[in-house]
Amino acid sequence: MKRFRFWHECVLVVLIAMVIALAQALDPLFLKGEVQRELSTHIWEIAILSIPMALIIITAGIDLSIGGIMAMCAITVGLSFQSGIPTGIAAVMGLIVATLCGAFNGLVVTRVKVHPLIVTLATMAAFRGAAEGISQAKPVSSFPESFTWIGQGVWMGLPVPAWVFLGLLLLSVLFLELTPWGKYCHAVGSNDEACRFSGVGVDRLLLGLYTFSGFCAGIAALLFVARRNTAKADIGMGIELLVITAVVIGGVSIFGGRGHLMGTVLGVFLIHETREFVSWRWNRDELNFIVIGLLLISSVLLHRWLTPKSTSR
Amino acid sequence: MNGGEGKLSSYLKLLGRHRTYGVLTLMLLTVVSVSLVNPQFLDLTNLRDLLVQAAPVAIIACGVMMVVLTGEIDISVGSMMGILAACLGVFSSSSDLGWPVPVAALAVVGIGAVIGLLNGIMVAYGKVPSIIVTLGMLTALKGGTELVLGGEWVTDLPDGLRYLGTGTWGGVPICVCVAVAVIAVTMVLLARTPLGRRIYAVGSNDEAAVCAGINVRRIKGFTFLFTGALVGVAVIVSAPQLSVIDSGFGSGVELLVVTCVVVGGVAISGGVGTVAGVVTATLLITMISTVLIFLRLGENATYWSRAIQGLFILGAVLLDHVVRQSSPLPGGGGH
Repeated sequence: MKRFRFWHECVLVVLIAMVIALAQALDPLFLKGEVQRELSTHIWEIAILSIPMALIIITAGIDLSIGGIMAMCAITVGLSFQSGIPTGIAAVMGLIVATLCGAFNGLVVTRVKVHPLIVTLATMAAFRGAAEGISQAKPVSSFPESFTWIGQGVWMGLPVPAWVFLGLLLLSVLFLELTPWGKYCHAVGSNDEACRFSGVGVDRLLLGLYTFSGFCAGIAALLFVARRNTAKADIGMGIELLVITAVVIGGVSIFGGRGHLMGTVLGVFLIHETREFVSWRWNRDELNFIVIGLLLISSVLLHRWLTPKSTSR
Repeated sequence: MNGGEGKLSSYLKLLGRHRTYGVLTLMLLTVVSVSLVNPQFLDLTNLRDLLVQAAPVAIIACGVMMVVLTGEIDISVGSMMGILAACLGVFSSSSDLGWPVPVAALAVVGIGAVIGLLNGIMVAYGKVPSIIVTLGMLTALKGGTELVLGGEWVTDLPDGLRYLGTGTWGGVPICVCVAVAVIAVTMVLLARTPLGRRIYAVGSNDEAAVCAGINVRRIKGFTFLFTGALVGVAVIVSAPQLSVIDSGFGSGVELLVVTCVVVGGVAISGGVGTVAGVVTATLLITMISTVLIFLRLGENATYWSRAIQGLFILGAVLLDHVVRQSSPLPGGGGH
């Protein structure tokens, strides 16, 4: 029963090739290495967030609160920096707060047994609101250069955030492929009752994943704050929808149980290239939204038509 | 002590069966405590403003609730409001197309219905998960709004249109009248017509619904179409309240509406929920933002309103949990 698992990834590769071919035909300058590196600055946060989001959606959950967690982290960093705490310690505190926020999501999801969509919808508002309330929506800026480097610096030819992303990706792929818990992710997404009966610690796995999501949101927030050199409560507004779009375009089923990190990475790449090319070429942001929306729907439709009929959902 | 506990648990059971009472209790508590601190809260103008604010949300929530009842979800309503408001402005403003107000209004409802129908077709016939279809639609329509407006604001709205937003019928603002009418129609539709029963049936168990000879696809398609048309209605009575229509209109409404629907006791898995619960929840959630002003906690307190909104949803979720733990029977008919 070993089937070819990567139909969707093939579709993505074809789509990416089409975008690149189009770019080559219309505007070859777009494909130059330096241009690409310049344009890549604001994709890394989305790329980092898409890793835990993919894992969570594979388990048939969802995490809408990542933007709110980013705000909590940014505010912690900003306010503790303002009160004279060294930036390094402030950053660690921000990460701890973000991780705790994620753990809170995980606790509610596993203890209360309410759909994660509802739980994280509530915590999205709660976290963002708490960040707004604590900071009174005031920005904190002028961080030292040693901190802004992690968002703006370049190391060995790649931006620092890219290295962070690659590190997290490597860890997650190793987790998914080599540990039993990684294998359980798909199993829980397909049928969590069956997993419980066969003795899998479903709750522990979910708690871990939501905590990891909080941690990654913290990392993304640090990179964002460092890149913009400002910590404000409106950071990452609406980023959850972009991340979910990327993950779904990447072939992770919103019902859980199906999807790979490879597809997610391709999905992020496809979205990024399409968006940047549309802005670069036609210089109109509104076209961007339309293209991404259509891409999301059509990639799922394409997937449905192109894959051999195996899974019914 | 025993009697007290018995009372408490029977009250909890009541809450479990009828979420509306829980939300209503919470709302009454809020109203009473706030008006004790500041009697002006019960002022007629304030209550009127509250209803005006809640009206468009309630209208849209009626539609989205039906979608959720069938086990689907519609998160495209925010951008839909944006593009319909932009259309309304462009159609009716004298410097653009300058259509008569009734024609423009009808066109807007029509376009809303068409967008809803598109959602419905992709969900019901294309078999794409509704959260993805409507997420895509949310994104695409956000761009569409900018295209319609062309990066500008519509400022010269005709008086006839402004009247729909700011006028009153017998002392009651028009948008409240319309909201009441929509709520009444939805209630009758859900509780008294075969279509309404089918909507609940599809959400409870769609395979059983198919076996019972219900055209599940058509029902789902209808709920999306209905939502789209209702968004049009909400836009007609709410967009002209301001003299300017810009591209930010309606952004974030999708989450507000889903919040109202969920706090109002509609099960996200479908099949369970009442219009009364959703409307009460809408009032409660609209109230939160004004409550903070009336508590005279100072300007700084207004920044906390989103946090409190989040806590209310969490509270509703936890309350449900407590209720289910204390009563062995699943509340409200289960899934």
